[in-house]
Amino acid sequence: MLLLSLGKIAVFSDAQPTASEESFIRIMQLRREGDVRIRYPDALPSLLAFMNEHARVTFDTDPLFIDDLTDERLFENPILYINCDELPNYDFSVDENVALRQYLELGGFLYLDAGIKASFLGTDLGHSYAAWEERVEVGEWFSQIFPEKSFIPLARNHDLFRTFYKGLPKNEDLKLEENQKRLPETVLSFVEQEKWPQGTYSLVGIKVKGRLACLASPICAMGWGRDEFGSWIPPISFRIRESADDFDETLKLASFAGNTYEVTREDGLQDEIFVMPGQRPMWVREPTGRWRIFKYYSGEEISNYAHSFYARLGTNIFLYALLN
Amino acid sequence: MKKNFLLFGFLLFHFCLSAQESNLLNNQATQELNQTTTAPVRSDLDKTLDEAEKKLGSSIVGERVGAAKLLGKYPNARGTYLLLSGLDDESALVRRASIVSIIEHFDSGQSMYDRAIAEKVFSKIGDPDVEVRREISGMIPRLSIGLMRSGFERTLVNGRPVFRSVPGNLREDLLNLGLSALLDEDSIVRQNVLKHHTRIRLPLPASTLAQLLSDKDLAVVLSALDYIRIHAGDHSVLAKVEVLAQHTELGIRAKVISVTRSLAHSFPLYRGVLRKMISDDSFEISAQAAVEIARFGETLPEDAVQKIEQYLIEAQGLHGKVETVFYGLSSLGDTGLRIYKKLTTHRSDKLRSQAWQRFLSLSRGWDKPEVWLPALSDRDEEVRTSVIVTLRGRLSSLDEESVRELSSSKFSDVRAFAAESLLSAESDVVASCFFDLLIDEDDLVRATTLRVLANLKTKGWEKIHQQSLRDEEYAIQRAAIDGLIMNRAVGEKILRDYLSSYPNTKISHAIRAELNR
Repeated sequence: MLLLSLGKIAVFSDAQPTASEESFIRIMQLRREGDVRIRYPDALPSLLAFMNEHARVTFDTDPLFIDDLTDERLFENPILYINCDELPNYDFSVDENVALRQYLELGGFLYLDAGIKASFLGTDLGHSYAAWEERVEVGEWFSQIFPEKSFIPLARNHDLFRTFYKGLPKNEDLKLEENQKRLPETVLSFVEQEKWPQGTYSLVGIKVKGRLACLASPICAMGWGRDEFGSWIPPISFRIRESADDFDETLKLASFAGNTYEVTREDGLQDEIFVMPGQRPMWVREPTGRWRIFKYYSGEEISNYAHSFYARLGTNIFLYALLN
Repeated sequence: MKKNFLLFGFLLFHFCLSAQESNLLNNQATQELNQTTTAPVRSDLDKTLDEAEKKLGSSIVGERVGAAKLLGKYPNARGTYLLLSGLDDESALVRRASIVSIIEHFDSGQSMYDRAIAEKVFSKIGDPDVEVRREISGMIPRLSIGLMRSGFERTLVNGRPVFRSVPGNLREDLLNLGLSALLDEDSIVRQNVLKHHTRIRLPLPASTLAQLLSDKDLAVVLSALDYIRIHAGDHSVLAKVEVLAQHTELGIRAKVISVTRSLAHSFPLYRGVLRKMISDDSFEISAQAAVEIARFGETLPEDAVQKIEQYLIEAQGLHGKVETVFYGLSSLGDTGLRIYKKLTTHRSDKLRSQAWQRFLSLSRGWDKPEVWLPALSDRDEEVRTSVIVTLRGRLSSLDEESVRELSSSKFSDVRAFAAESLLSAESDVVASCFFDLLIDEDDLVRATTLRVLANLKTKGWEKIHQQSLRDEEYAIQRAAIDGLIMNRAVGEKILRDYLSSYPNTKISHAIRAELNR
């Protein structure tokens, strides 16, 4: 039986807990053998150390790896993390699905990182895109676990976004001087108004017995890594939408020989994304008829800002999972 | 008749004509219908670039910005040249859009190895707009190939013309811009130029390095610490490092340890920096410094050892700096051994697991069951496995009491190890202990025991194997087959007898295959 109490775990067993059993909170991570590249191996340990340092929690910074959802240790720990990009397939047995359902019903929490992935991104693991629905494989998998439920987008005012950190990183959070620009103007404007307003992100979830028990997001692990000196790794770039006076006409007629993809927006409508094969998305036609171009920004200030945001969001997610 | 034929032909002609007209009308209607629903036809690439070029010359800033942004989507030589002209625009917005698009060209594989292009772009590192300067400074690695292209010169040697290569170097005006950029008012620019200065052979004077080591921005300081080796012997640099060793930021102090650890071999004064850091208020820093000093063979004061111990005991897992300090304990000799032993009861499974391995290896504790038996009671499988792996192949003969203790463990992996241990045990211990393992509830334990018995040819092993061929579990049956095959002189008959009695069981085929080998 799994019981959560003020961020600690009590495990009911016959044996008296020994000194070594007065343990920190373990976060489980599902990791299976297969033809898959582990892109961010230090991401979760880094985030756990970050939370211990800033939020004064007591996580064991070494994740507990399991390779099967029928592992009996599943019911001993409150949070299961899965990086969906690191799963070789979605072939889960009936027993595993039953175990997972039971785990969530008993109070466990599942975080599906990269559980949202826009189809046009293909197998390129270095990109994320804030779509507003779970990736196809996750949807199909969960239709076997909870056929009566579906993933619902989290509202921007959900409590999760204010669990510990509120809003976007400021200069002091980034250890920048007050007079230093933390981002290029167009980027900051887009981030504050559209990309991550008030520190929010595109998240979808499933409630079980009235409680948010399963959460999916675009890949966040890419933003958690830190080296031993506290510097963020690896570098992150931004994709933002930019407009210009004449784009509504120009982009409609400009040379293009690629494909288009429809992606669900936050409001449930569809954006039409224009992509040339082998290249990053070029521009978008929005349902209002507006055309905007995608521009890509990289650099230290971009990367540090993104990392700071993802670490804050990750903290909010894990602490929310512990406290609810 | 002829008249009728002509009339018929006339009528037929008109009919056909009408049909054609009708078709034409239909087609026209269809075309009109399609025209209202078909998307506008897109331009080809040349026309799009023509249009962009025209707008780049517009008097309206918004149009110039739009053109610069759009050109980023067409990575080709013409697009690149158009964007280069945008870098001279009077509007910072246009210059920003141009440089972002140029970077997009780079990312799409467009090469810019031409020296003139690279120099043109790099010259904007002195741009009045900070966003432009940041982008340029970040591009240095990509521009370096073009900037550093070597050339040839023709010279006369003893009256004879000789061609020789001339290494690439920055033009003087660009060199001065680069040197100024090292001390740019913007910290991102400073950091970028510092990180990449070697790629463009930008000199880094000791005075500049000392200045950067005192920078207000922590990221700049961290980057500067990577280059102190260039001027390690300079007293101003050493003085700055000594100051940084007491910086308020933990990351800076950790970086100081990291860079001085290697410098201390060639520059003994830096060992003094490490020595002072042993007294750091942070256990993390003092532990790291202490371990590094111990690696030099120096004896540590007792309070430094206590700090190491405290740091590791309070660690929340074996990760990052903890790992460095943990493995550094090996250089502390007996003291390190004592700390490893203490860490075998740590809260972190991973730390306990590694602590046991280190402790047993360094103390040669595999000969003392009283030392490692408690480890095999650990609730974490990883810990037990790491101990078993360390012991395997090194165990001398275990006494009966130890084997019994292992055999009665609640963990099947430990009981299986008990079975393995019989291989090196005395025969009376084997005879006394094997039966409990043979009837264990876990088939791995039973199978392991069977294999051991076959190896040792314990009294009665043949009968046991013969009966095991009829076990319900395949693992047991397989172990029995392997044991009998290993001792073919006796085993073959038993296997053939089985086949004659049970010709078509799930293992009959396997037995035949083994016998036919």
